[in-house]
This record gives sequence, C-alpha cells and structure tokens, in this order.
Amino acid sequence: MQYCNFGNILLALGVLLTLGARELSGQAQIISLAATAPGALSVTVTSGAVQTIPAVVDNALNDFPTPVVIQTSWSVHPGQTNTVNLIAYFTLPAQAMVGGTTQIPSSRILGRMTTGLPVAYTAITQNALGGVGSAGGSLRLFSVNIGGANKNANRTDNLDLRLNLVGFPALPAGAYAGVLNLRAVTQ
Amino acid sequence: MHPLFRKILAGSIALVLAGTSTASGQVGLLSNAPTVALTATKNATLTVTPNVATATLGSITDNSTANNFTPVSITTAWNLTAGSSVRLIGWFATPAQALANGADLIPSSKVEGRVGAAAYAPFSSAAVGGVGVASGSLQLFSQAVAAGSYLGSRTDQLDLRLNLTGTTTVAGDYTGTLNLQAVVQ
Repeated sequence: MQYCNFGNILLALGVLLTLGARELSGQAQIISLAATAPGALSVTVTSGAVQTIPAVVDNALNDFPTPVVIQTSWSVHPGQTNTVNLIAYFTLPAQAMVGGTTQIPSSRILGRMTTGLPVAYTAITQNALGGVGSAGGSLRLFSVNIGGANKNANRTDNLDLRLNLVGFPALPAGAYAGVLNLRAVTQ
Repeated sequence: MHPLFRKILAGSIALVLAGTSTASGQVGLLSNAPTVALTATKNATLTVTPNVATATLGSITDNSTANNFTPVSITTAWNLTAGSSVRLIGWFATPAQALANGADLIPSSKVEGRVGAAAYAPFSSAAVGGVGVASGSLQLFSQAVAAGSYLGSRTDQLDLRLNLTGTTTVAGDYTGTLNLQAVVQ
C-alpha cells in the first residue's frame, strides 16, 4: 500500500514536472538583438584649399606655395576594417589643369606627404584604390592599419603640391586651373 | 528538435548573419570628398636678346655709306594673351648725339639700320607705342600675332651702318648706344 502511494506520488510529480516543462518551453522567447553603429569617415581641408602659383616658370619645378592641410577622422570597427586610406585624384588625368586649349596632365602634378606614403614628390598617376580615384590620375597619400587602439582616431597631414614643367613644352601665357579631389576609403 | 534549442539556434544564426552584414558594410566605407582648387598663371612675356653686346666699325669712310658695323643677331620671343602685333624698335636716347667723340657728334639721322631684305632707314622716326624717342627711333619689324601665334619667336639679323654722305668726321673713336625694345600693340 505504501509502495502504491509512493508510486502515485511519483507519477503525479512526473506529470507536474512534465506539464511544467512544457509550460516553461512554451514561454521562452528569444529575441535576437543586432545594433550596428555605422562607421564614420571624414576628410577636412583645414587650410590650403586654394593653391595658386602666381608666375609659372617653363622647364622648371614650380611649387605651390603652401601645403594643403588635411584632417582625416574615422570611427570604424577594428575587426571589420583593415586600413583607412586617403586618396588624392584628378577626375580627368589628361586634363589635370587646363588653360585655353592647353592641358597639363596629372603626370605633371606631383604630391608629397612626408607623414604619409609619398614622402618624396610623386606624380599623381596611380590607379584608383577601393573604387576611389581615377585610373592613372590618383595618388594614395596614406594608409593606416586599424586596431583597437586607433579605431576612433584622426590625423592631420600636410600635402605639398608641385607643378613639374621640366621638359614640358612652353606654356602659353594665361591662367591654368584644376581641381584635386580628396577622399578616404576603408579597406 | 526541442523548440527551445531550435530558437536558440535560430537566434545565433541571426546574430552571425547580422555580424556578417556589418562587416561587409565597413569595408569600402567612403568619406566625403573635399577638393583643392589649383591655379597657376603663366605671365605674358616679351624678350629681346641680341647675340652680341657690341657692334664695331673698324674705319670710318667719310662721305660714304660704306660704313657697315658688324651685324647683330636679335632674337625676339613673345608669349602673349592679347595684341595684334609685336614690333621691334631701335632707338637712341639722344638723337642729336647717337655717336660721340668728345664734342664731335654723329646724329641718329646718320645711323641707318635694316632687318632682312628691307632697305636701310635712318633712326629718325618717332617712338612706337611709347617705345623710343622722337626723331631717334626706327621700327625694325612688325610681326602680326593672333590667338594661334601668341607664343612665338623670331631671329633677325640687324645690319647697321653710318650714312656719311655729305659728311666729314673728325678723326677719333665714336661710341654710342643703340637701344632695342619690343612692344605689343
């Protein structure tokens, strides 16, 4: 008899546990949370956005008088971004600067960033990087490896520009104008 | 499969997928694109370059035009943005004493010049475009220029002589300075 009662108790407890388990299983809800902080990347020319050579000299190196001061800021995920790169480029390399019918190609415009990659004057004739720039009309100015320590950071660099007319046909008198584009891209 | 396990698995997959999506979004992240305006100016130029600084006449012959100085080669170069002609002017600052030997003077009217096949003419004309002096100047050439020829140069031989027809000079060394200057008109 005692065994019988004990068995009934066990049976009842088993039912209760089973019912409880089912009830617990039915109430559990899983909500997957995914919040993405978008990366931020900006380039600011803090000075030198207008560069002027007042009197160009033929067959000579003509330096633009002041550097272009560029501040690059980023906030990126270090596990998802290897590098931050700054690119300078001309949209039409064959016509980097134009005056009348005379065109000065980007191969005659040199850039130097002593704190970056082209520490010596280098023609702006590289190809685009990561979809930024133009074929034969670009120059990578710096590439920063991203890690936990610099996932949110900024840097300021000076870009020196030069017009190389050594061996170039004499320029007709007049004004020559062009636009150098700057853009950063992550890789 | 137990419902609880199934949901945990589903949630995990969702999180993994969400993470994957974020990674692809941060590669190729672009910044804004500021620009730098570049301007370079090539100034207009006009230069005159003689090949020698001195022209000499070894022996003066009175009452004659056979008094030729050694020729001078002159290169005139221009790089312009406007104008219709480039003119080269030769002139003496004081026409009455183009050459002097102390108090003995030879006026500019007795000094003649020519370029190329032109006839000799005295340096006794007026200034041109503000270049030269009255009665002491001679336009050596006038070169038409236009948009297609605003960048150019030419080299000419300048022949100089003394026209002493009807003139007798006092013996001695006569020296003077002929100025050359180009002007755009």
